[in-house]
Amino acid sequence: MRTFAFSRADSVERAATSADATAFVAGGTTLLDLIKLDVLKPANVVDINALPLKRVERLDDGRLKIGALVTNTDLAHHPEVKAHYPVLSEALLAGASTQLRNMATTAGNVMQRTRCPYYRDPAAKCNRREPGTGCDAMNGINRMNAVLGGSDACIAVHPSDMCVGIAAIGATLTLQGPGGEREVDFADFHRLPGDTPHIEHDLQEGELITAITLDAPLKGAGSHYLKLRDRASYEFALASCAAEITLDGETIREARLALGGVATKPWRCTEAEAALVGQPAEKASFERAAEIALKDAVPREHNAYKIPLARQAIVRALRNAAQDKTSQSETQESQA
Amino acid sequence: MNDMTQPNVVGQRTPRIDGEFKLTGHAGYTGELHADNMLYGYPVSATIANGKLESLELDEARAMPGVVDIFHHGHFETLHRSPNSMAHGDMVNEVRLPFEDERIYYHGQYVALVVAETFEQARAAAQRVIARYTKMSGATAGLLQTDAEGELQESSGTSRGDPEAAFGGAEVKVDSTYQIAAESHLQMEMHATLAEWHDDGQRLVVHESTQGVFFQRNAMARVFGLAQENLEVISHYIGSGFGNKLFMWPHAVATTVAARMTGRPVKVVLPRQQDMSSGGNRPASRQRIRLGADRSGKLTSVIHDSTTETSLVHQYVDGCGSATPSFYACDNVSTSQRVLEVNHGTPCPMRAPGEVSGIFALETAMDELAVELDMDPVELRLKNNAELDPASGLPWSSKHLDECLTSAAKRFGWENRNPAVGSMRDGDEIIGYGMASCTWSAGRQPCEARVELRADGSLFAACGTQDIGTGTYTIVAQAVAELTGADLSRIEVKLGETSLPAGPLSGGSMATATVLPAVAAAVRDALDAIKEVAIGSGGAFEGSDADSLSAEAGCLTDGNRRVSFEEVLETSKLSSVNGQGSAAPGNEQNEYAFRSFGAHFVEIRIDPEISRVRVARVVSSIDIGRAINPPTARNQVEGGIVMGVGMGLLEKLDYDPRDARLINANVADYIVPTHADAPEIDVELLDYPDFKHNEFGGRGVGEIGLTGVAPAIANAIYHATGKRYRDLPITIEDLLAAD
Amino acid sequence: MDDSVHSRTRAQAAPGTQTLNFTLNGEPRTLEVAPNAVLLDVLREQIGLGGTKKGCDHGQCGACTVHVDGQSMNSCLRLAVMCEGQHVTTVEGLARDGELHPIQQNFLECDAYQCGYCTPGQMMSATALLNDERVGTDDASVKEAMSGNICRCGAYKNIVEAIQKSRQQLSYDATQKEGTA
Repeated sequence: MRTFAFSRADSVERAATSADATAFVAGGTTLLDLIKLDVLKPANVVDINALPLKRVERLDDGRLKIGALVTNTDLAHHPEVKAHYPVLSEALLAGASTQLRNMATTAGNVMQRTRCPYYRDPAAKCNRREPGTGCDAMNGINRMNAVLGGSDACIAVHPSDMCVGIAAIGATLTLQGPGGEREVDFADFHRLPGDTPHIEHDLQEGELITAITLDAPLKGAGSHYLKLRDRASYEFALASCAAEITLDGETIREARLALGGVATKPWRCTEAEAALVGQPAEKASFERAAEIALKDAVPREHNAYKIPLARQAIVRALRNAAQDKTSQSETQESQA
Repeated sequence: MNDMTQPNVVGQRTPRIDGEFKLTGHAGYTGELHADNMLYGYPVSATIANGKLESLELDEARAMPGVVDIFHHGHFETLHRSPNSMAHGDMVNEVRLPFEDERIYYHGQYVALVVAETFEQARAAAQRVIARYTKMSGATAGLLQTDAEGELQESSGTSRGDPEAAFGGAEVKVDSTYQIAAESHLQMEMHATLAEWHDDGQRLVVHESTQGVFFQRNAMARVFGLAQENLEVISHYIGSGFGNKLFMWPHAVATTVAARMTGRPVKVVLPRQQDMSSGGNRPASRQRIRLGADRSGKLTSVIHDSTTETSLVHQYVDGCGSATPSFYACDNVSTSQRVLEVNHGTPCPMRAPGEVSGIFALETAMDELAVELDMDPVELRLKNNAELDPASGLPWSSKHLDECLTSAAKRFGWENRNPAVGSMRDGDEIIGYGMASCTWSAGRQPCEARVELRADGSLFAACGTQDIGTGTYTIVAQAVAELTGADLSRIEVKLGETSLPAGPLSGGSMATATVLPAVAAAVRDALDAIKEVAIGSGGAFEGSDADSLSAEAGCLTDGNRRVSFEEVLETSKLSSVNGQGSAAPGNEQNEYAFRSFGAHFVEIRIDPEISRVRVARVVSSIDIGRAINPPTARNQVEGGIVMGVGMGLLEKLDYDPRDARLINANVADYIVPTHADAPEIDVELLDYPDFKHNEFGGRGVGEIGLTGVAPAIANAIYHATGKRYRDLPITIEDLLAAD
Repeated sequence: MDDSVHSRTRAQAAPGTQTLNFTLNGEPRTLEVAPNAVLLDVLREQIGLGGTKKGCDHGQCGACTVHVDGQSMNSCLRLAVMCEGQHVTTVEGLARDGELHPIQQNFLECDAYQCGYCTPGQMMSATALLNDERVGTDDASVKEAMSGNICRCGAYKNIVEAIQKSRQQLSYDATQKEGTA
């Protein structure tokens, strides 16, 4: 583990003007892991934990603004999140372990790096870690790699559960940079690898995520986050699905669908969502949506199973969302 | 004289006497020990699996703060290899010495050791060492990635009757091939060494997290050319081993050389990645089983042919067929063993080595036979129960497999099993019931022990074996308490040092049966000594006949009067008396066959629409003779079951087929069961003391719980899905492929 | 309480050691640590408290679990310098005045361990769990919440039993206290 200079940021503005090769540390669960592996090599590490970014607040327009430093645990158990965004609470609690959730922050989770074994091994070829060196995962042991959103340069999975929930909900990121504050749609923040897999997101030099604001909740939605993995807990997803659904009787009025574990970024399935609208809330509709969601999937030698597995995740998550009685009774109450 | 048929302490629930140290953080495991002026070592390991180390660029690393020295092929002592003999107690896990040549035989092989003032400095500098390699093609990535047959091990096979002919003529046949991926021990504490030289390099003290202090001492004496008495190996607490800490690894040699060449103590704790790549693994296996039976289910032929991996630098044979000749009553049985050299770190024994793999194959094949016969699998096993050991022809010392099968079946609710595939459902889930028998041989080794009765009222017992978490400290204390009547709180036990009387490896489920008889002999010797003191001039029982005295409640008594040990000693102005004891297996080895048996019954639940399989429930009955300390014995069986869940469904070391690099050498990508994976477990230990094995009646329990779990899971999955899985682990991909 | 514990040291840009002030098991501590020193290694190597274990060094096993300001965390993924002003509790801080903490007593009685190496981490997670009202009290919730602590010896059944037994005792104690108050 290389040495670096360590300092603490005492204001957002000053933090956002830091020098080259700076890494911000909040929870540290990704950063320190990867510094130890010699994958990340920051010359300066800036501790941002003292910044006033720990609030969760309901905005007047019904959206929920979450400070960058709110921990995964606190967010998962926050009354606003549990009441209005249960799919996010479930996604958060499906991720990592209690200890890691106590450390990890909302913005840190957005910035989480891939778990691709070749990315994590400095001796392997990886375009994401070292542009232009090649990709050992493409023809290697790519069981954990992506079937959606990949390119010839990279098929690394974005490993977050939280981001899958947020992708389904919809959100806006607030970024503070040397030139001031700006907002980015969550859906546009993470980049597809394309020819430049090392550019993972829209964060510019010196910029810091200060908040993430969730879209107003989908009124009366039933929801479910389903994570499929080898063991029962404490493992990254092989395929996961966040689903929200509203019904008119037996007919789907609106649907939100996002996938994890199978794509190079948190994967919103808008085409599949559209195909669900107006359809009966039954297995055949869910299966058709699953087909659509995976139609562009590209399998590799060891990850082809993720295509049927992701379909299964979608069908079951939609079924459970449609059967999510708590939310539907809420619907009836609000209609009454 | 104490009556072991009605013991007071042995066989009774006894909280661990070392428990408080472990629970307060004060048990000193090797990695957290410190020596004055100590340096930290951090190995640099090869990033290729096959080739040659061309150069090491060390200038940048050497210039880093705190770096004291960097050892490698060009800068190391000339040493000797260990003879690697089990009989002489100097077996090692890898005969090749560290940095011995510049060939790279496996990914993770050490190419340098950086030594620095602090851990952070050693690690930072190790990452700045630049190694340049010539990569060679043709790396063998693993047995399961080739069709290579491996080399036949003539000495490992057995045969009786005419199995080929019997198989040819059998009315019902099974002929299947089974493959098990390489596994990692993943013991929680990584390998660790702290080496200190004293007396100007004449005397060596090594703290090692080891399952065998004497084996390591003997091996190090050979490697460093030292007299055994000038070398001490110490291991008081071990964060388990499961077999990969039985024998010495090269990191211990490298650390010890670094300590001598720097003139300062050096500590090395292997990073997890290196521990997994270079600190042992269970080799992958490919096994073919042929079973022949008549229509009634009676086995007429068992042919078990196995191949396992070894490394290019050390021959390790994981004998898969070793339980097979003794498992079932059958006149025609043969086993054979092949070994294939692959570019992996050297494999080594891992919990129930060989047999656990062999039993997966055999017990899955038995389930296949039961299906062929349309017979209940429990009935098939009862039908072929061997009343004598069919391998040796000797009677069993004590065998209760039939009771294990019937008792566990009853507690499990086997009678509720609808044998039709996929017939038992609960909501989204299909329920599968499966079972398998399990077994492990009951061995015993020679052992010495020492017991001291002290005037301060304490009793002290010492033996150079180890407690790897199995509870050896506690059962030694129980034995002393049993034979003296002294309260457990007065008994101090010392293990894990080569300065103590020679004790056995903590492995092979042999430690209990090996150590306790020696401790008992030492207690008796100490009691004889204190009796002599008591009857002597001025003694507490002056003039009495020694034979009239006996020990009870920590006292000597003549039937009328009790005098405590401490009072006896004080009366005679003595601080203590000593007892030496030794014990070894005897002629009973020629009269009986010794082996433990049991049965596991497993309920799995499969949610086929999301390809999820979970082990819901395991009910087991195990006959290990007497459990000296029932909770710790049961705990080991329960732990074996949990490990079996991993073997069945999760665990696989992934070697890249292109270049044999190990790509999941970490605890996130090599997955083992968590709390949430642990099934509901009900373990019954039958209580039939085996006095033919030893006077305490216990046969050892470390391995047996793991054996038989994976086949019971696979058999349950067959019951749920109708798909026969013969390769481990059984993963989500496999379940999806079944659709 | 010593105020100096909470005084913030300003950023130091140069590599080299930095002063760390924090509270360890109730005692204020000041020490010089390297910026790249991880809390786990500082505890084990610099302070000499070996109860907190290293099992993977990457947040994958839970053996290094400690409490930071009352929350369970993996000390292997936390820079020591990040603990400035914080309260860190390790397994050595569980027992009070020579009396085992109820969780320790129940681990002993339930034989909730074998080799003992993951045990401090298990107990630190367990004590945090017992203080966390947001986590369900049934066995399944406990198992899920404890899944960040791997026990390769597989003593999971006994660990859960020890936790649930401690829960009963602690809630009984609380009831008793309320009753006498």
